[in-house]
Amino acid sequence: MNRSLWWKVILILAVLVAFTAPIIPTKNNPEPIRRGLDLKGGTHLVMRVNVGDALRIETDQAAEALKSQSTKNNLPVPTTRRINDTTFVARPPAGISTAEYERLAKDYLPSFDMSRTPDGALQFKMKAVSASAIERDTIDHAVETIRNRVDALGVTEPLIAPESGNRIVIQLPGVDDPARVKDIIRTTAQLQFRLVEGNPGPDVKSALETVPANLKNEVDVLPGTREDELGRAAGTEFYAVRKTIPVTGTDLKNARVQKGRLGEPNVGFSLTPDGGRKFGDLTGANVGRRLAIVLDNKVVSAPRINSKIEDQGVIEGSFTTQQAADLALVLRSGSLPASLTTMEERTVGPSLGRDSIRQGVRAALIGFIALVLAVLFYYKGAGINAILALLLNLVIILGMMAIFKATLTLPGIAGIILTLGMAVDSNVLVFERIREERRDGRTVRAAIENGFSRAFGTIIDTHMTTIISALFLFQFGTGPIKGFAVTLLIGLFASVFTAFFVSRVIFDFWYKPQERPQTISI
Amino acid sequence: MQIFVNTNYDFVKYRFVAVAFSLIWMLVGFSLFMKHGINWGIDFAGGANIVLKFKDQVPMNKLRADLADASIQQYGKPEDREILIRLPKQRTEIDLAGQVVDRLFRDLNPPAATGKLDLNYHGRERLTDLLASLDPDNKGTRPDARAYYAQVAQNIINKRSELGIFTNMQQATSAPGVTTGIARILNERTYLGSFNVRNQETVGPQVGRELQQKAIWAVVLSTLAMGAYLWLRFDFMFGIAAVVCIVHDVLVSLAFIGIINGEFSLNIVAALLLIVGYSINDTVVTYDRVRENRRKLKTRATLEEQLNLAMNQTLSRTLLTSGTVIIVLIALILFGGKVIHEFAMVLLVGVIAGTYSTVTIVPAVAIAWNHLTGRKHDIAGPAARPRVEPTPREETPTRKRKAV
Repeated sequence: MNRSLWWKVILILAVLVAFTAPIIPTKNNPEPIRRGLDLKGGTHLVMRVNVGDALRIETDQAAEALKSQSTKNNLPVPTTRRINDTTFVARPPAGISTAEYERLAKDYLPSFDMSRTPDGALQFKMKAVSASAIERDTIDHAVETIRNRVDALGVTEPLIAPESGNRIVIQLPGVDDPARVKDIIRTTAQLQFRLVEGNPGPDVKSALETVPANLKNEVDVLPGTREDELGRAAGTEFYAVRKTIPVTGTDLKNARVQKGRLGEPNVGFSLTPDGGRKFGDLTGANVGRRLAIVLDNKVVSAPRINSKIEDQGVIEGSFTTQQAADLALVLRSGSLPASLTTMEERTVGPSLGRDSIRQGVRAALIGFIALVLAVLFYYKGAGINAILALLLNLVIILGMMAIFKATLTLPGIAGIILTLGMAVDSNVLVFERIREERRDGRTVRAAIENGFSRAFGTIIDTHMTTIISALFLFQFGTGPIKGFAVTLLIGLFASVFTAFFVSRVIFDFWYKPQERPQTISI
Repeated sequence: MQIFVNTNYDFVKYRFVAVAFSLIWMLVGFSLFMKHGINWGIDFAGGANIVLKFKDQVPMNKLRADLADASIQQYGKPEDREILIRLPKQRTEIDLAGQVVDRLFRDLNPPAATGKLDLNYHGRERLTDLLASLDPDNKGTRPDARAYYAQVAQNIINKRSELGIFTNMQQATSAPGVTTGIARILNERTYLGSFNVRNQETVGPQVGRELQQKAIWAVVLSTLAMGAYLWLRFDFMFGIAAVVCIVHDVLVSLAFIGIINGEFSLNIVAALLLIVGYSINDTVVTYDRVRENRRKLKTRATLEEQLNLAMNQTLSRTLLTSGTVIIVLIALILFGGKVIHEFAMVLLVGVIAGTYSTVTIVPAVAIAWNHLTGRKHDIAGPAARPRVEPTPREETPTRKRKAV
């Protein structure tokens, strides 16, 4: 046997080893080929980040800043009204010129464009650059927060990625309790500590009536849970709380579940040094008053301040252990900058995943055996050649998937076996050519030579068309279908190699030119 | 074994019969679409699908009363006690499947109100939390205590996955790693609820709309891309014939969906995209042969004769290749399960249509085009011979020559 043939054989064996090694499960890597959510069970979520929330906050803060700067500069406070997420109108009291406010706005509201409404008020619209920067930050922050929460849940190999249209794709393999996970991801968890004015009441109006008249514009009325003497939930009541928010969730250092006096679960928190100082000032100056703990615009509890508190506190409420644990988790992982809306959910339970993989593998095996029998029956000796090429193709597909950490999905399993069915085509094209050449009276060697060289162009063309459609499939599909496109693409590239190079070497090996073979089994 | 050796069928003669057949097939399929309306699945229409497996008899009446606007049907064999609930599109983006499942969970499981854990509904995490907080095996606060209980919880859930659903507590307590302490907790603090969620999907109205557009564009653009590639590699006439052939194959497959009143899902679109790329292969192989023969033919041959010759030469390959793919598809249809069943069916029709259109539709288009453009694709020669010799003798066997 000549040298170049040896080198080719060695190359093929090297390829075999190189792609077999990654698919052998090891202790560190028990699952060399990642199973997709449809096989493993898990949840695929597409959430929209309502960036409008963040823009609104920014706009409100700008309006507040204009007011507070007016006070500092001894100007009458203008009335402000937000028109949409990025625009507000400021109207000075009657008879006051807007010129002074314009000067203030230039200095303190650099990210807003100012214009004048027909009736002489000032309109501020957030600059497009600033708005898109806030949107970007909001998405990044949301991704980060969701990642923290998902990590805290102990999900292995989650995927959390931003997508166009202010969306975030979240893939959580192995999650079998989607309701809880969704709750945890979606909780905005904006924690605020705000002073209570007046007394709580059964509706908004009665709560507001107890607030002193001069403070009526300085409070928000928020709902909360009314508790009976034993601390059990007993209906809703409303609290008037100050608009100013001295301490928020960002001042928290840590939060954990602990047990109260009666063994009831609650959430203890500790504050950052800076947050502790602010909290100390707030509680020190307001001993005897009630402080509302507000979570996502609901009053969780409103304890009376007994003394100055600096570095830690407790959030009490009628929690179950699970609720307290989940609250501590979301507080630790930080608040979301904006609310989330579920756009799409696909959850596969673990039992369905198990059935799918079983059925998929069984169908693929049966298909493969049928394929092998058909090829052997039709091409006899050369059939073995085609089957060796197919097996190597299979090893390359699986090896590539392991190396590139591609995900195997149920359509992907169908894709592998279908690719093999199609890959036979390359062998068939070559074999049919060899047969034709033999019928035309060529020698075995000449028939092999011509068979391979003439089929080459055709095989490239048939592969190209399928590759083009696989690329469209990849671009179009999500999840399982992408997995299908990936296996198809790898398989097509591999089949050019196996049908040409490998199959050729096997022929050369069996029908060596120097031996002048007289017959060929094909 | 060899079949179809040196055949000499006159394929082009039957092309009008075939065109008529295809048109009738499409007409039937599309008029059925008109009749039923297009059955958009939730991927495109939006809405929710929920598959539940029940422990006992499916409480159909209660479900129907609970979910007035849903379609509820048996899923798979009756003894599987599985149902598919399909909920129509909502106007706003809400977590539809999640909310409905939660409602059914509370309605169908009286013990849910007691706060006990449902071993058929709840997942590994909650079971781990329950076991770790009660600590029946006295692992204390050791760091691996939670991992220990998590493993047991995983084993119990795996057991459930294997069985599909727990029908008695023994099945849960016999999972590996369950100690008497844990078994006591399971008996006291958990119960077996009436159903297990196999699958839940929600597609919001916006995502559905986007997917619909994306799917149509993907099919149209890939068809055009294919035509452009073949125009570049061959000639304009063939590019046109190929696009017509792809459109034919896709329409035949679509008509098939109409005939079986199948549902349009992402998987079906994947099948259509694959048909676009794959069904054209036979046509490429045939036309490659036409081009190769053209260089060798010394005699006059009309396009009709050229096509017939090439189709006969490649017939064996065409049938064998389609045959192998069809074998694989039949295996997928019979054994692949519900998820890929329709996908494989549509693909099967597409592959058959692809093979059939290669010997009927492509010649019909190419010949018509040739007639319209002044028969440029006929080869002039000294005299017509009854049968054309395909391979020239003068070529040396060892000389390598590309077919391109």
